[in-house]
Amino acid sequence: MMMGKILAVHSYKGGTGKTLLSINLAAALAEHGKKVCLFDLDFRAPSLSTLLKIEKSECWLNDYLNGTCEIDKAMLDLSEKVHNSGKLFVGLANPATEAIRDMSAKDRKWEMRALGRLLALRTSLLSDKGFDYLILDTSPGLQYSSINAIVSADLVLVATTFDRSDVDGTKRMLRELYDLFEKKTEVVLNKVLDVSSKAGKEEITSKVNDVYQVPLLGIVPCFCDILKARGGIIFAQEKPDHPFTRILEEMAAKIDKMA
Amino acid sequence: MSNQEFAGRKPLLVLEKIRENLERLNEKIEVMIELQKHGRKDLQQPLSDAPLDVMTLLSMPDHLRKTAMSLCRIGRATAEEISEQTKRARAVESAYLNQLVIMGYLKKERNGRKAYFFVDRENHG
Repeated sequence: MMMGKILAVHSYKGGTGKTLLSINLAAALAEHGKKVCLFDLDFRAPSLSTLLKIEKSECWLNDYLNGTCEIDKAMLDLSEKVHNSGKLFVGLANPATEAIRDMSAKDRKWEMRALGRLLALRTSLLSDKGFDYLILDTSPGLQYSSINAIVSADLVLVATTFDRSDVDGTKRMLRELYDLFEKKTEVVLNKVLDVSSKAGKEEITSKVNDVYQVPLLGIVPCFCDILKARGGIIFAQEKPDHPFTRILEEMAAKIDKMA
Repeated sequence: MSNQEFAGRKPLLVLEKIRENLERLNEKIEVMIELQKHGRKDLQQPLSDAPLDVMTLLSMPDHLRKTAMSLCRIGRATAEEISEQTKRARAVESAYLNQLVIMGYLKKERNGRKAYFFVDRENHG
């Protein structure tokens, strides 16, 4: 059997759509019959708990990284929402202000141990529990927790937009961070205006390859429906025929084909 | 084991012992070469228990980062196992690993003839 993969979803700036991509990609892979686990590693601004309307958890990922609980206690089973045999689990970051403060005051030794615990998930979740995918949603920029996630991952998805400061920062980050770790990286271009024509799409693809020198996994147009949903809908689960879901499915299929 | 059998194996055991000692000697020489390359500063002040966190990995020279990253992923390994991952020669990896031990980032442990390297994450601080 093929060993599962760890994906980290990252970006230079905030608001590029990391969480939207992570959650829908996880749902799309689960709808493909995969066993998927999604972790919110954005300890500075936890959002998965709000989006999934979960207020309490026996354990948070904070506790797992602190070494005070086992990983299975920090995972919630949301598989009943999946329409087939696929499985979807989530691990949440503690949204309490105190917890956020606590996480931002950790020292290097703690971060080193946290890296060890993230790396251990390869054995505990992928090998032992047979997960096909572990998706790590991260904080934007060069945060400790995000770099830990990148180092632990097999594939890094970088969410980016055409915003100028984002383009420049992302470019630098690819050169000065990902290249140093020799990480397999793919870019997802989000909030793109006008990708209706095939020529337009091709132009964008070659532009992205030119600027970032890494492959483009997908282009996500600006959808008013996504804004209207205000994070309350997991499109890949609840709106199977929506164009956004289709795009996510294509990305999921591409990822699944990667060796 | 009968006396005769033992007498028959004795040369083999001696050879084994010599090989073991040669390997240890080789390792010590590699460490000395590494130390010399980096001047006397390292010799006077060997760092101990420096955390091998991601920022440290980022600031390392490329050749060491590759070795350290590979060990981070495997957890505990011999120079041979690391060299399979990095596709570099075993002797090269051995030198880099020993240098990382001297810098305080890794720990080294012997099990018979084999030397294992690992990141001692839990016993820090």
